[in-house]
Amino acid sequence: MSGNGPMIGRRGALLSGAALLALGHARGAQAAGMPGQLILGVTQEAVNFNPLLYVNTGVETSVEFIVFDALWKLDPTGAFLPNLAAEIPTQANGGLSADGRTWTIRLRPDVKWHDGTPFTSADVIFTLDTLLNPKVVVRSRNGHEHVATYAAIDDLTVKIVLKDDFAPYMVSWQKTSVVPKHILADLPDINTAPFNTQPVGTGPFKFKSRTAGSQIEFEPYAGYHGGAPKLTSLVQKYVPDQQTLYAQFQTGEVDIYDTQGIPPLLYAKAKALPGSKIMLSASPFVEFIYFNCGKPQFSDKKVRQALYQAVDKKGWIDAVYYGVPIPTLSYLPPNHWAYNKSLKDPGFDLKKAAALLDDAGWKAADGGVRAKDGVRLAFTMSTTAGNKSREQAQQLVQQNFKKIGVEMTIKNMPASVVWGDYTVKSEFDTLMVGWDALLYPDPDYTDRIGSKLIPAKGGSGSNYVQYENPEIDELCAKGTSVVDQAERKKIYDRIQEILLEDLPFAPIFAYEVIIGVKDRVQGYQPNPYTPINSWNTNEWSVS
Amino acid sequence: MARFLLNRLGQSALLLLGVSVIGFALMHLAPGGPLALYTLNPTVTAQDIERVKHEFGLDQPVYVQYAKWAFGLLTGNWGYSFFGGRPVGIIVMERIPATLELMGSSLALALLIGVATGILAAVRRNSVFDYTTAVTAMLALSLPTFWFGLLGIYLFAQTLGWLPAGGMESTGGGDLLDRLRHLLLPMLVLAFVLVAKWSRYTRSAMIDILSQDYMRTARAKGLGPARVMLGHGLRAALVPLVVLAGLQLPELVGGALVTETVFSWPGMGLLFVNALGTRDYPVLMAILMVGALVVVVGNLIADVVVALIDPRIKPAHV
Repeated sequence: MSGNGPMIGRRGALLSGAALLALGHARGAQAAGMPGQLILGVTQEAVNFNPLLYVNTGVETSVEFIVFDALWKLDPTGAFLPNLAAEIPTQANGGLSADGRTWTIRLRPDVKWHDGTPFTSADVIFTLDTLLNPKVVVRSRNGHEHVATYAAIDDLTVKIVLKDDFAPYMVSWQKTSVVPKHILADLPDINTAPFNTQPVGTGPFKFKSRTAGSQIEFEPYAGYHGGAPKLTSLVQKYVPDQQTLYAQFQTGEVDIYDTQGIPPLLYAKAKALPGSKIMLSASPFVEFIYFNCGKPQFSDKKVRQALYQAVDKKGWIDAVYYGVPIPTLSYLPPNHWAYNKSLKDPGFDLKKAAALLDDAGWKAADGGVRAKDGVRLAFTMSTTAGNKSREQAQQLVQQNFKKIGVEMTIKNMPASVVWGDYTVKSEFDTLMVGWDALLYPDPDYTDRIGSKLIPAKGGSGSNYVQYENPEIDELCAKGTSVVDQAERKKIYDRIQEILLEDLPFAPIFAYEVIIGVKDRVQGYQPNPYTPINSWNTNEWSVS
Repeated sequence: MARFLLNRLGQSALLLLGVSVIGFALMHLAPGGPLALYTLNPTVTAQDIERVKHEFGLDQPVYVQYAKWAFGLLTGNWGYSFFGGRPVGIIVMERIPATLELMGSSLALALLIGVATGILAAVRRNSVFDYTTAVTAMLALSLPTFWFGLLGIYLFAQTLGWLPAGGMESTGGGDLLDRLRHLLLPMLVLAFVLVAKWSRYTRSAMIDILSQDYMRTARAKGLGPARVMLGHGLRAALVPLVVLAGLQLPELVGGALVTETVFSWPGMGLLFVNALGTRDYPVLMAILMVGALVVVVGNLIADVVVALIDPRIKPAHV
């Protein structure tokens, strides 16, 4: 047995070494940040802090909200609050012309950039110039392509004229953070500007430092026009592994677990954690099954209807997502003002689904798989490989479909493959995907359902399902030309009704993000109208 | 020796050229690309994607893109990341210290323990110690490292609360002790696997040598067991081990993909995982070239060292 000696000795030495190190820090791993410091834990790394250029919705939006401001912002009730603008332009206050095309925006006089330079209308104009500059790799023009002319009237007034009716333009300026002209205007290339990783904004916190692969630290901006922040330091900490981030939240190494949220698998366990609040935050994202209407299997809407009825949506939500997400019958989450409350769920009914397929002429053929005119009712379903929840959901759907003689093959690929040309050029059969409206919370959905917006047919939008319906085109055009909300609601009610009948994509549920917040944090308030909850960081504090 | 070195350097340059051509081609020919991240962003339209594609030069033929990239590399411009627009050289270089710290310490620890257990196992062949190390090594090599990592975090961070759950230092910076506490778990997890490798290699190298005539001669001369083992045995067993060390050198810089991800270690492995996920071609190419360079250098060093320590090999003959 003497041969065992060294092994035990080695383990023993390691353990006592660990114990010694632990003793060295009496507070052990429980040590949170310094007083007044709040640590926000995220599982993706923010690498671009230029609000016009970054791509990664979530962690990079978070930095945007912390460092920058837009002209106005949305509060958790969905109301617009003036931010860099002095007031919200309306027809009553003369900010908006009667036809809704001319915007006169007055700016706050008391705003200064983090380096002390006053903020003026020149910055707003420069931001528009940059957005429309073909040499700058801006992520999205956020609807500003509808602008015909724009100019500064004086230092604190901007006038913008639209070339067509575009009601969602209000949201365009909620989604567009203003960037500083005095820093960026003279640079030869904004795409590679140092500013993109050392941003200067007008927001509640100043960028302090970034440690690559690890964290970003912000310091409070005492001169913030919305009121000085209460924290002494705010850190966005990058922890790539969900399990590890959960462990760090448990030990108090991070104060808030947000962005992608705690995995539903850990929800029950998280609720039992002492010293923490676990809350659900409504998200604009809706989970769909996308049908490629350009493929022969899906050209008939009866097939899409039958498949929708064959999907056990409740089982999907309960078994895979522990009952957390909210069922929805539309591309909007049910809490949205424009959600059509009278939509009727066709329900989960395999018999009716089978009957529908029989009616449509899809009869059982070889191997028990239905076929019609030589086309088998067999197809693939794709999503990001390695997404465990989606993989489970696919298996569930696959079994549901099999019972009505439909063969579904799972064909998952890495994100960089499945969401590339495979999606954009409509090469897929079906996709499992979560998306929100282009200018959410505006209900306009033209980009995803307009018949002129199919990239596979040379269009410029995101109609990847290749859906074409003249009535929808007409309604979409009407929806963006009417400004009155009650009038618009009627139009979008009808659009949602038609979509539930035609089902180019099958809506399953609206995401709810599970957020963990330590009890020492105050002022944190989830906001269903923003993609990230860092919308009011100046109100945050720690005890 | 000089001619040998020159020869090898010439070969190395050709090798690097080949690696860059094949790497660049494979990367661009593989389905998918950096624009998928744009598709996933709901505010981005197909029109935006076309515009971005053109700005990044991704709409040009692959050979044109390669020529531009290679010319840039030779003139000292490694390009800019597609995401963030920072110079690629800086992005890669700033990750090397973290990886060196983690990989260097675990390799050193693994060498010490691995070689010692390997020798002991060889000397006490078929003993309980030999079997125990064999089984432990099998386990270490068969179980995935992320499993060990998560187990370590669960045990030492979540349950016992002794050690931090990942990261390189406490937020806001830490002293030496703080950094050591952060280093301990990932280092042990990595070293565990490396010890397994090193002990197996050392054991088999030593067993070969133990049966050699000169070992018997050494013992017959009346030398003590320590002299025989370390002076004669280990010296001879060193040759294959040095080759192995040379082959492992790239890992020092390349980092550990899984371990760095589990432990939020801000090194090259984590950078590579992220760049691969987003298909950030300029960053991926830079990592590939740095990696290839280190492989070439590692092999070169191993060859030279072997030539120096193995009396049978004369540099002139290499």
